[in-house]
Amino acid sequence: MKFVGILLALAGWLLPVIGLTLTQSLGARFVLSGMGLAVSLVGILVVLNGAHLKEAIWKR
Amino acid sequence: MTFLRKQNLCLWIVTAVLLIGALAGYAQTPAAAPAQTTPPPAQATPAPAQAAPAPAAPAGAGPAMDMPLDVKAAQAPSTDELAKGDPGGVKTGTVSDVVAADTKKGLTLADVVNQAGQNRIAINFVWTLITGFLVMFMQAGFAIVETGLTRAKSANHTMMMNFMVYGFGLFAFWVCGFALQMGGGAPYSTLGGANSLNSEFAVPALGKMWGLFGTHGFFLTQGGTYDVGVMVMFLFQMVFMDTALTIVTGACAERWKYIAFAVSSVFMGAITYPIFANWAWGGGWLSQLGANFSLGKGYCDFAGSGVVHAVGGLTALAVSMIIGPRIGKYNRDGRPNAIPGHDIVLVLTGCFILAFGWFGFNPGSTLAASGNGALRIGSIAVNTMLAGCTGSFGSVLYMWIRYGKPDASMAGNGLLAGLVAITAPSGFVSTVGAAIIGIIAGVLVCLSVEFIDRRLKVDDPVGAISVHGTCGLWGVLSVGLLADGTSNYGGSWNGVAGSVTGLFYGDASQLLAQLIGIGTLVGFVFSLSFVANSIIHLIVGQRVPAKDELAGLDIPEMGALCYPEFVLKEEEAMAAAGD
Repeated sequence: MKFVGILLALAGWLLPVIGLTLTQSLGARFVLSGMGLAVSLVGILVVLNGAHLKEAIWKR
Repeated sequence: MTFLRKQNLCLWIVTAVLLIGALAGYAQTPAAAPAQTTPPPAQATPAPAQAAPAPAAPAGAGPAMDMPLDVKAAQAPSTDELAKGDPGGVKTGTVSDVVAADTKKGLTLADVVNQAGQNRIAINFVWTLITGFLVMFMQAGFAIVETGLTRAKSANHTMMMNFMVYGFGLFAFWVCGFALQMGGGAPYSTLGGANSLNSEFAVPALGKMWGLFGTHGFFLTQGGTYDVGVMVMFLFQMVFMDTALTIVTGACAERWKYIAFAVSSVFMGAITYPIFANWAWGGGWLSQLGANFSLGKGYCDFAGSGVVHAVGGLTALAVSMIIGPRIGKYNRDGRPNAIPGHDIVLVLTGCFILAFGWFGFNPGSTLAASGNGALRIGSIAVNTMLAGCTGSFGSVLYMWIRYGKPDASMAGNGLLAGLVAITAPSGFVSTVGAAIIGIIAGVLVCLSVEFIDRRLKVDDPVGAISVHGTCGLWGVLSVGLLADGTSNYGGSWNGVAGSVTGLFYGDASQLLAQLIGIGTLVGFVFSLSFVANSIIHLIVGQRVPAKDELAGLDIPEMGALCYPEFVLKEEEAMAAAGD
């Protein structure tokens, strides 16, 4: 799951960057940026952190 | 309870009045049209040869640069006059102090013009160096803030991390970090060009060139970088880099193995920080979003809310996740326990030192005090102090309303949050904008600390992830909202003519450039830090053994107690009390 979390974080970064060349529309670029940021945050805060919490020291 | 409710009501009213006042002031601030307020560079900076009179030249011809000047009218004081002393300071620094290249020929216009040019660069050198020295002193502030916010039993270890991160970071930055960051960004006109920093590695992709890292300046000798301007640039950039590194030590305090800290810091100073800093400040792809994709003036981060603070804060988050929380921080049911720091005097004194150093951080980022619109340093300094002030207002009010007391450590963190947030926009916003940015940061840092502590269950003893990560990202975003289009640093920014202008002043595309910068920080910088530190974890292990942590890290890791005459509480007793 840690690997998936990092993949999501990277995918969320690449989404708006690649989107820059896919469209000239400012609105569409805003949407892609927002989506990318959301994907990255989910990857880090939910997936990756969740994987770490499963083996947290206070659960042992 | 009634009293408390009344007190809370009063605080809400005070908060509302402050916010309404700020918004009213903001609404009255006229939106400036960049094209009208920003003169082109040729008007902003007159050429010295045109400004200087040329009495000996015939009509229609240029000034005779190499002809001796008649300087009698300047009335230089004689040696006898100077020998009497100059208590009023009116005889010191006259025409006799202008150096002639050829003493036989005497002073020429060329000598005067060259002296003027060198004086401008000298002013900028001295300004940049002194502000760099101020930023260096922030290391002391960070050291005592972090030590004060952690427990006495690991104080030596926390201080030693803050002390040695300076050396580890400096070494890594000298070897390769500086070259990767700034090796392709020249010319830096305020520092005389530093033209040897002119080699950027860029790859063609998606129809554009994407600058990734510089290739001149390894060991400050390679590529012709043994240069006075390069040295000034190195010193200033180095102390910034070290600020980012020291953020991580706070979040990982009290359980980070010293060898892992050393390796992680060297990697961050050599690779992680320089790569993102190149993209933002060294001519890399983020800075070119304006030129390549018409997104405002490209990613704009005046003094480093993103480059320094968010990079530090996100790396702190990555390492904190890997290391895990301190023993006793969370109960078996996941409820967090407060682990108070051992010296609030250290904490608040450190915050003052940091606020002082921030006057180097932000105004120094003009890299100039003369020319190129650098006189805006006054505005930048005022923005800096205002945002710090409103940041502490915001956090104190939040804590007072929510918990009934103004918390001292959060007041300090609120000050720092305001300062972190204003770092990126300090050169682009008005004082009203700065005050708004600061107060939002002050509240945001409290919310973020609670979220990270209670929801994410990531242990951050000093609140570094919230102060530097969350509020750093807010600072980057605020440029895209509140930049007022009145700044003029040589008529352009990141190679795009005009002033940096945010959404509320008419340029939505600037906000998009900032969002892409935020996405890069969150997606790329965090991932790079996480992967690198996971590898370090596999090789040397990031966390100290439990028995060392319970005993305190001073003896197991450092070999000496910070306070040998103190009687420290037993950890088991504290943990039992927590359970």
